Amino acid sequence: MTTLSFSLAPKAIYQLHDALMCLAKFDDSVAIEAEIDLLRLSVLNSTKTAYSAFVFEADGFFENYSFGRVSNGSSSRTAHPEKFSCQVLIKALLSAFKGKTSGRDKDTSVERCEVELQEDLDESECRLVIRLICGLGVIKLYKLTYEPIHVQHAIFDRSKATNEWSIEPKYLKEITDHFGPSAEHLDIYSEQGKAVFTSFTTKSSDGKEILRQPVHTSVAIEKRDFDYYLAEDHLHVAIHMKDFKAAIAHAETANAKITARFTRPSRPLQFAYESEGIKTEFTLMTRGDSPGEDAPGSSRAAPQLSARQTPAPVQISQRNTAPETAQMPPPRSRSIRPLTGTSTRASQSNTETQQPPPSMEFDSLFVPADDDRQWDVPNDEDEGPVEDELGWDATGEQTSTGPGLRDIEPRMAQTSHEEEEMGIPPTQRMSQLHGLGLFD
Amino acid sequence: MRFRTQIANASIFSKLTASLSSLGKVCWMRLEKDFIRFTIIPDQGTQVWAQLPIDTIFEEESYICESNTGAINLEVPIGALHRALRSAVSAKLSNLRLTKKGNVPLLALTIRATSWTTTSNALDIPETAAATDHSSSTIDNSTTTTTARPSGTGPRERETVITQEIPIKVLHESAVEGLHQPRCRDPDVNILLPSLIQLKSISERFTKLATTNSSNKTSSAATAGGATSTTPSLSSPKLELSANMHGSLKVAVGTDAFRISSVWTDLLNPSLDPGQLDEGRELGQLPSERMREVPADDEAGWAKVRIDGKDWSRILSVGRLNPRVVASFINETALVLYVFLPGSWNEQDSCLTYYITSYAV
Repeated sequence: MTTLSFSLAPKAIYQLHDALMCLAKFDDSVAIEAEIDLLRLSVLNSTKTAYSAFVFEADGFFENYSFGRVSNGSSSRTAHPEKFSCQVLIKALLSAFKGKTSGRDKDTSVERCEVELQEDLDESECRLVIRLICGLGVIKLYKLTYEPIHVQHAIFDRSKATNEWSIEPKYLKEITDHFGPSAEHLDIYSEQGKAVFTSFTTKSSDGKEILRQPVHTSVAIEKRDFDYYLAEDHLHVAIHMKDFKAAIAHAETANAKITARFTRPSRPLQFAYESEGIKTEFTLMTRGDSPGEDAPGSSRAAPQLSARQTPAPVQISQRNTAPETAQMPPPRSRSIRPLTGTSTRASQSNTETQQPPPSMEFDSLFVPADDDRQWDVPNDEDEGPVEDELGWDATGEQTSTGPGLRDIEPRMAQTSHEEEEMGIPPTQRMSQLHGLGLFD
Repeated sequence: MRFRTQIANASIFSKLTASLSSLGKVCWMRLEKDFIRFTIIPDQGTQVWAQLPIDTIFEEESYICESNTGAINLEVPIGALHRALRSAVSAKLSNLRLTKKGNVPLLALTIRATSWTTTSNALDIPETAAATDHSSSTIDNSTTTTTARPSGTGPRERETVITQEIPIKVLHESAVEGLHQPRCRDPDVNILLPSLIQLKSISERFTKLATTNSSNKTSSAATAGGATSTTPSLSSPKLELSANMHGSLKVAVGTDAFRISSVWTDLLNPSLDPGQLDEGRELGQLPSERMREVPADDEAGWAKVRIDGKDWSRILSVGRLNPRVVASFINETALVLYVFLPGSWNEQDSCLTYYITSYAV
């Protein structure tokens, strides 16, 4: 059982709101991790190319913070007993933690916020309870549902980053003002005392659609504008414009100097800054030309970059060894999806492909012991996921069937055995069904 | 084919492109030795033909335009050009040139913007340190920070170089030969429009009133049947603009439920320059001069057109250039606006002409 409670002053609520607004630009739900001395909010985007995390220090940020964990038999399932983690929809949190601008009514503006985690495995209801104490005795109470989750972090070894620069975010903001709204990517490099930021978009360039092509914008600022600029010249790294904008927008509201660290293209780049008890980091996958390739003009580099769109991230997963790959896998790679466990399931189904799916109960209700069920496409589709998640654990126990079917289960099990003895294999392997997009 | 120039007046250029981009996505830009022309011919709606002397927006000394035919014709995404020019408005120096990247012709806009810093840059690195020693410039190599120059602290001028590359199409002369300004008969009424911002806000209010009203009424009107006059107005309400040669301009809108109008008086009715007349015609023969003879209180002295409210609002966005606008009414046919930019050497030379067709009743 976990006990977690903390309280926030109004200023901290606004800061939390800003952080959530920023995180919302990466994905819909945020992972919350509580440890003894910190609270971490993090989001890994769906393509796993961008990770952003806000670490709120127990002493510096909160008015009160207490975290405890009572270990008993039932809770030993967690690998990290000193840590609690869950996942919450950002929208839900944002409805509770409102920004400065929403405090229209002075009298009932928020004075304090108390958050408490109600997690009792004996109780039916586990909730994250947010209590906003407002003026005139108004109390707003939010009870949010949460999901347990194994949080994935992007690992970034700062000591190994060979390039680093630091700058006031307002200068970066000025740069993005020049970019068009449709710009998708941002290429960063330096030469001759200048740092050059170039926007580009990877779109097919048909001759007839010339006028629809995006405007290429490049903005060069002097290295003197940086607090320090310690990066190799002519080293192009490219990131998503959206992520870049999200990072600097928040850095500007936090009024913190932003530091970028990176090694080379196709390796992660990290923006980091900290202010007032909040440590913020954005770890973004980069792509670009490897150093040494001659690319004097940013404009000329862009087409080369675009051609590498997918290959670049894939390379890294092959080249790198365990820890980093697991944390920052390539986008759209279906083989690495630890959260849903697709990969393990796939391998199981491969070993059992010679057997027909043992779960035919639902069909048997209507046409018992009939081969026709093999052709029953809609039913396959409907029950497919259930089989895949629960029925393929090779134990043969059909505990996962619907409650209404329990009483006739024994009979069905028999029929299924008969079915096997008849020796007619299925026409299609379950593993092949993955290609149909049912389990995407 | 060469085109290169410095932009003398990025603000006017930007405002011009903003006004043009509200009417169409693609602009035909014709560069000649003395003039630049911008033309927008949308599939539907108002045509614009703009002609500006070089020095209205470009710096004459730096203007280079070389072509076999004496003119360069470009098809430009005007919205993108406008967006790019926004970076140039506050810049010290901007340069526009025609170039090519691969097979894609471009208008490349290079902008040098400067501003003053207020923050002290304590950890200033000299450019030489970073430029000479690429390979070993790791984080550990922080010795450079000790050599901060005195100029690194305190306010200093910082420079930003912005390059905007706008993909365009170069048109062959034969492709544009067939394009010509619309011809229409002599106008019935010429009148100098009042303040465009006032005209715009009143027109938009009328449009909005008629829109909300007609959207409520649409269903009932449809069932009533036979209401042929309301069918074309489903998209946007039509404003009735009318004027006479006695200094009056009227904007009106009507629906089934109401009719509302606004009248300006004591406006100027400019006379046509006699030198502009065709051979063998006299000023007195012009329809506008005949209309001048009609008494002020006579309905016959008014020329009227019907214009889509939203289109009219987009046209009036040219008001940001703060121009003088002469409206020429051709009764029940068309409205032609002559928009003269202020501040140029010869106002007659820099003129945007808007051709707006009147809707039938």
